[in-house]
Amino acid sequence: MDTKPREDSLLRQLLSPGPACASAQMLGALRNGTLEKEEALVLERHLAECSRCQTELKLLSDFENAAPRKGEEASLSWITSQLERRFSDDLAAAGEKAHGGAVRRWAGEFLLRPLQMGGLAAAAAMVLAGVVIAFRETRPPELGSPAPAPVVFRSGELSVFFPAGDLREPPGELRWQPSASASLYSIRVMEVDRTELWSAETRQTAIALPAQVRARIVPRKPILWEVVARDSAGRALASSGTHQFQVRNQP
Amino acid sequence: MQGPENAQPDSCSAVPPSGVSPAEGGRGLDSLSDAELIASHLASGENASAWVQELFRRHYAKVVLWCLRMAGEREEARDLAQSVFAKAHRHLASFRGESSISTWLYTITRSECMNYLRGRGPRPSAMDDGLLEEVPGDPAASPDEALERAQSVRLARALLERELTETEKLVFTLHYGDDVPLDSITRLLGLANRSGAKAFIVSARRKLARAIARWTATQERLNS
Repeated sequence: MDTKPREDSLLRQLLSPGPACASAQMLGALRNGTLEKEEALVLERHLAECSRCQTELKLLSDFENAAPRKGEEASLSWITSQLERRFSDDLAAAGEKAHGGAVRRWAGEFLLRPLQMGGLAAAAAMVLAGVVIAFRETRPPELGSPAPAPVVFRSGELSVFFPAGDLREPPGELRWQPSASASLYSIRVMEVDRTELWSAETRQTAIALPAQVRARIVPRKPILWEVVARDSAGRALASSGTHQFQVRNQP
Repeated sequence: MQGPENAQPDSCSAVPPSGVSPAEGGRGLDSLSDAELIASHLASGENASAWVQELFRRHYAKVVLWCLRMAGEREEARDLAQSVFAKAHRHLASFRGESSISTWLYTITRSECMNYLRGRGPRPSAMDDGLLEEVPGDPAASPDEALERAQSVRLARALLERELTETEKLVFTLHYGDDVPLDSITRLLGLANRSGAKAFIVSARRKLARAIARWTATQERLNS
């Protein structure tokens, strides 16, 4: 009997975040010492017995302390210069599109290109002078009329129940955890290259898979799916991230 | 390279841009905090701005190094990093400051990198021998069976926590939990041993197999 798919499925479930696992935001707050004392104690207790959260904390710490290792400096420098150039081009293009003027192009051309401190200060001064023209027609934020409450999008914070891992047959439904404040859920089912097979919206926390979609889920073909919780305005509140399942070979 | 001193804008105004206080009118971008840059950018109402470019510039290294270590090749890493910043840019208005910008960028970078790895296809099997044959629970075909399997998962989780070293747990979690290829894990964690992440997988599997065998023997004794 081929136990490999079953084992992979069990390992994936074993090592996926559980309901008690912390978000990156909480781990970051713990790391920075900005978490409430009570919350910190609870999280530390959980960390002591959760390899998933230990891994996330380690990755977050490494990310925030990132320094190039031997052999990485040249690639880091090359990629960074590419990013700066592309961003400057995008900035210039966005300015032209928004205002149809040549001034934005100047603002884009000289944005932060010189990396030396002296040049940086001069560039910043030119930027401030250049972008002012575009702001002439922009009204300052109005006092007294509060801006709409910003929506915090939390990727990976919507837990799914089913399906995941190896299955004996194509799933009849998809099920996930309710999300606070959600009015609607958007669901996508995709092939492994993210080509969409099917998408739908529902107000429930479960949805049946249509027969024609189930028919396309053949043995050993990995299928991805994700669900996004949305508020009444359609803005994304939380996402499950992408989950994978497949039907194992028929014995 | 043309320097800023050659720039000739149409006209100038002494009014500082929206979002920058009069007291800060003379400050360079590099002296503004991340929060101030975001506030200035959002108050400007512009889609692209110097503030957001400065904000991202401060965090290029973190994102780029992560992408480089995941992808292993600089052109792909560049495209990956660009997709990270593009996504961050699109969602900047939803950033509410509940975490640092760095943590926020980490979640985006992590998500984009994992999607990129998945898009490259299924990871090659590190091992063929069955490790968890003895752990009870069949692949779930229904939600009820999924719940039963959750109990098996808790058992396996406890064994993993008890038996493995820190590095073994890291490698194991990334490889089996997130499908990260071993070469990416080796680069990401900076493992300097000869076989990289594979050595830790081998060691972890050996320890877990022994622990599961011991557990199974105990269960059989209790049930007899």
